[in-house]
Amino acid sequence: MHFLAVGFLSAVTVDKPTGVLGALATGAEDFIKVFNKGGSVLLSLMGGILPTLVVLLTAVNALVRIIGPERIENLGKAAARPGLQWYPVRYIVLPFVSVFVLTNPMAYTMGRFLPERFKPAFYDSAVSFVHPILGIFPHANPGELFVYVGIATGIQQLGLGLGDLAVRYLLVGLVVIFIRGIVTERITARMMTKSEKGE
Amino acid sequence: MGFASTVTKVGRSVGGVVGILYQAGRDTVDTVIRNVIPFMAFISFIIGLILTTGIGDWIAKGIKGSASSLPGLLLISVVCAIPLLSPLLGPGAVIAQIVGTLLGVEIGKGNIPAQYSLPALFAINPQVGCDFIPVGLALGEAEPATVEIGVPAVLFSRMVTGPLSVVIAYVASFGLYTAAK
Repeated sequence: MHFLAVGFLSAVTVDKPTGVLGALATGAEDFIKVFNKGGSVLLSLMGGILPTLVVLLTAVNALVRIIGPERIENLGKAAARPGLQWYPVRYIVLPFVSVFVLTNPMAYTMGRFLPERFKPAFYDSAVSFVHPILGIFPHANPGELFVYVGIATGIQQLGLGLGDLAVRYLLVGLVVIFIRGIVTERITARMMTKSEKGE
Repeated sequence: MGFASTVTKVGRSVGGVVGILYQAGRDTVDTVIRNVIPFMAFISFIIGLILTTGIGDWIAKGIKGSASSLPGLLLISVVCAIPLLSPLLGPGAVIAQIVGTLLGVEIGKGNIPAQYSLPALFAINPQVGCDFIPVGLALGEAEPATVEIGVPAVLFSRMVTGPLSVVIAYVASFGLYTAAK
């Protein structure tokens, strides 16, 4: 049906306009083509991920409200303890829970339970997790969704599932924020002793 | 008396739950309209521009080589992690979102192998939050002395952990979408 229509149209089409007017007409067509294409992309985004996103955000927002942000304060106090076994709590569990429950940017307020020497490292760890979490829990940072969705759209166009990418992004993210926390903590400690000596 | 209080209790808790759900829905629609849809509109325009004009091919040539090999991705991450550049690239993650979308278009066209999507997600993002360090630390009630040390500490740390995250993601991407080429 579609091809028939195209065939019919091409049979009655007049010659392509030439000259100045022709160039203007072609220019106008090319101009509007950009926005037609953009419009169809927008429609596919709105029809594709937006409805799921709205329902998911609603569910998770409700869950967070039921849990209540004040309950995670004990976790913050636990993470402040010195000792090797508290490293994973400080730079994996606490950033994850803060970003999940408090979302970007309120997650960084959890740093107030930590001693000064851990604060930069915790911030580094938490802020580095606001994107890896997006694949599975987009409520944590919906304003910056396209860091993940931009690339994920390409995967979708290939007809591949997103689950694998989303899970791996989250898991690698956890490993990276752990390393980042430790490295930044070391650097902070070194700079703090240096500045104390200088004084 | 017992029956009436039960009815009251049930009515109250159901009302509470419905209230929470309703408020959650309201928050969601608020965020979607204020933050998500505007960005979708903006991104759609950029994609439309890329797909219909020659810009796409031009960008493809530029990033195809760098985004479909480990050294290329490392180079991107090193550039993004330079302490003077990273705070400039950070705000609103706009740069990361645009570059992510560009890469997504190229992945969709098959110019970049799908398995590179995972390391690419880290390569385009070593600068995350570098613009926000003083504010983030202030939210954590850090003292001014901590902020003074914390800003360079995080920026220097990124020079190490930025490229490192790409390597970790690259190793973790083995077996990701490989059967599908």
